[in-house]
Amino acid sequence: MSDATTAVDARPLLELQGVVKRFGPVTALADGTLCCRPGSIHAVMGENGAGKSTLIKIMAGVLSPTEGIMRLDGREIAFSSPAEAQRHGVVCVFQELSLMPDLSVADNIGITAPPRRWGLIDRGAQLAEARRLLRLVGCDDIDGRERVRDLPLSRRQMVEIAKALGRKPRLLILDEATSALTADDVGRVVALLKRLRAEGMCILYISHRMHEIRELADECSVFANGRHVASFPFGSRTEDEIVRMMIGRPLSQMYPPKPPAPRVAPAPLLEARRLGWENRLRDVSLGVAAGEIVGLGGLDGQGQREFLLALFGCLSGVTGEIVMDGSPVSPRGPRTAKADPMRLALVPEDRKTEGLMLPMTVAENLSAATLSRWRRGPLIDNRRERQAIEEMQRRMQIKAVLDLPVATLSGGNQQKVAIGKWLMLGPRVLLLCDPTRGIDVGTKQEIYRLLRELADAGTAVLLYTTDYDELIGLCDRVAIFRDGHVVRTLEGDGITEEAILSGALAMGGADHGTERAA
Amino acid sequence: MSGSAPTSSAAGLLGRLRGADLPLLVAGGCILVILCAGATVNGAFLSPHYLIQQAQVASFLGIVATGAMLVILLGHIDLSVPWTLTAGAMLGTGLAGTAAGGAVAIPVALAVGALVGLVNGIGVAILRIPSMIFTLGVNAVLQGLMVLYTGGSAPPSTAAPLVRWLAGGHLVPGLPNAILVWAAVGLLCSLMLRRTIAGRTLYAVGNRERAAYLNGMPVRRAVCGVFVLAGMCSTGAGVLLTGYSGKAFQGMGDSYLLPAIAAVVLGGTSIMGGQGRYAGTVVGTILIVLLQSMLAVLQMPDAGRQIIYGLVIFCMLLLYGRQRAAR
Repeated sequence: MSDATTAVDARPLLELQGVVKRFGPVTALADGTLCCRPGSIHAVMGENGAGKSTLIKIMAGVLSPTEGIMRLDGREIAFSSPAEAQRHGVVCVFQELSLMPDLSVADNIGITAPPRRWGLIDRGAQLAEARRLLRLVGCDDIDGRERVRDLPLSRRQMVEIAKALGRKPRLLILDEATSALTADDVGRVVALLKRLRAEGMCILYISHRMHEIRELADECSVFANGRHVASFPFGSRTEDEIVRMMIGRPLSQMYPPKPPAPRVAPAPLLEARRLGWENRLRDVSLGVAAGEIVGLGGLDGQGQREFLLALFGCLSGVTGEIVMDGSPVSPRGPRTAKADPMRLALVPEDRKTEGLMLPMTVAENLSAATLSRWRRGPLIDNRRERQAIEEMQRRMQIKAVLDLPVATLSGGNQQKVAIGKWLMLGPRVLLLCDPTRGIDVGTKQEIYRLLRELADAGTAVLLYTTDYDELIGLCDRVAIFRDGHVVRTLEGDGITEEAILSGALAMGGADHGTERAA
Repeated sequence: MSGSAPTSSAAGLLGRLRGADLPLLVAGGCILVILCAGATVNGAFLSPHYLIQQAQVASFLGIVATGAMLVILLGHIDLSVPWTLTAGAMLGTGLAGTAAGGAVAIPVALAVGALVGLVNGIGVAILRIPSMIFTLGVNAVLQGLMVLYTGGSAPPSTAAPLVRWLAGGHLVPGLPNAILVWAAVGLLCSLMLRRTIAGRTLYAVGNRERAAYLNGMPVRRAVCGVFVLAGMCSTGAGVLLTGYSGKAFQGMGDSYLLPAIAAVVLGGTSIMGGQGRYAGTVVGTILIVLLQSMLAVLQMPDAGRQIIYGLVIFCMLLLYGRQRAAR
């Protein structure tokens, strides 16, 4: 038997059979079947809306199943709360961060069961425990006394993982836990998970990033449309087969073809000259031409976000110059940035708190940035507004009822609304901040195609992404940020993983080797 | 669900029914229960005369609640209602006494309201002080100013004839004008919320201020504008009240702040902002007024009246006022 090594002493730790979850008339999970063994990493794959999140929430005690059986160590079990699941050793690191921003790292790690002395919290012991856990996840550099608010997103996610480990899990569930991580931290997590596996922990790993799954997974289960499709030892199927199970599309057409690079660099439509802001942006000079997709690369939190926000007029005290069509402009906020003649659009990083008003309807969200266009006298012309909204729904293929709250949509469709809202403006420059984070493969592909179409139609696109594959596959040029500087600009075939990494990490001698002065 | 929805308009109706109409139905049902209960005790409870009188009383609260609702939709609160209302009433009557015919009373009151609202708006939107604290401070300052202005007693001046006519006159026979004023204010407010950019902006800011800002919506202007409107609602109600009761007096606004907020919330507007319809506020206002009136008619001792009043609000909010669990 080829799989004897994994199957020998490995009685399943947690087993789900035919688990169903319905919300009223909506079936979120039609057939949840899964079997996790100790000492192995089990990857769960599927598009957004495939039922993965529901499955995990059931395992972690957040939701209770409508039907079906769950067994722990062979005994049937039902968790009534996450706390109960944790007592049984099932601990989940959720996609949305659950940290309290104003508490210290140590307070957060010890939040449910802080060490106590005389009934009071023993801060010394708590800090020591936090340090131990942070060392375990390879983040000795995080100070346990620091406020979580002051940490960048990637570090916060690492704290989240440390917190989960503090609960002494037997089954550790990571739901998109790496989507917010920098390449550095992903490496730490990968090493950590391998170590935990060797110690006999069972790990359930949910990610949209194939190269992480490739590196980690022992077993793999694919879900589609709320159903379990297949489970198999990883490597027994090709990646194309897996992708086809998920979406029925081969991976090779992930990115649309890039147009050939123009012989003479086109004049930039929007250009930043020596842009500075506090100590987060230093002397950033970067332009984007019509028809071009320019990627902002580098490690997370090196000033890329601030750069986009500065262009959109959201930061005060920006030094340097922003030039549009050759003449200087000074956007004083999103309102002036989106108005003629600039007509900028920004798809912000966090769609739930920045991109969308979740309780409002899909329709209201779609027209929110362009309301003044549908005005007739003092009122909004409902009919014209509706027409435009329906047209955008068709164009973006948003699967939704327009009059239901946008919160009811899957992540991918929500992101389409967040982008579609700005396309209603017909922007000249489109700024995007990590637009594919936590989104399924199918929708990602649609977004890539859309961005290329927009560029072909003459839009200038500035894209910040934490996914190196996107920089390589999608962008015409890539500017690598480090510590608020643009340290290197890559073009055409020069955009390789090695070049991006060495620029981001300041490896090699090519520091300040900006290949083309702006 | 999306698959079985026949048309988007039908689904939209469904969504609206579920989201916003439950409070309307419950509050409406509650009103009927109160009327029936009142009728069994005292037959006069259902007479047109009594009902119209209640509507007239409700119109003052209704106008205050309109302003309160706008502020609550933004996710803020205006605690300066009592003394804004009183200031509008006092300055309205006081200045009208010296000026021609009393016609200035209303513009003066509205201007006072707009000014107070502007101060509130600047404090909340630009200085970014939490509205609960800032408006409380403004209320205290206004109280002090009014004591200075009147010398601590009720001002001697009385309401101008025009104001009396607006509050108690009959443009339509049998229907006090105050009700018409309330209706007009309500119609304008409802139209603004549903059909204008300002209304849409208001909901957007109430739901997620940061997202609204990144949409390029004028967030500060919306907040300032809403506080100005709320101030004008308060002082407008104040000057109408002088027409009803004859004059302004200290503490005349005290009984309007909490009932107005209760009416808004009973009408289904989320206290966290961003959700709610104007019709709900109308029904909530009527419910509050009828409840108070019936408890008075039953000649219940004051303590029992307060307890029942509180319990009813509490029970209704248990039914629908809790925050829906996030997905």
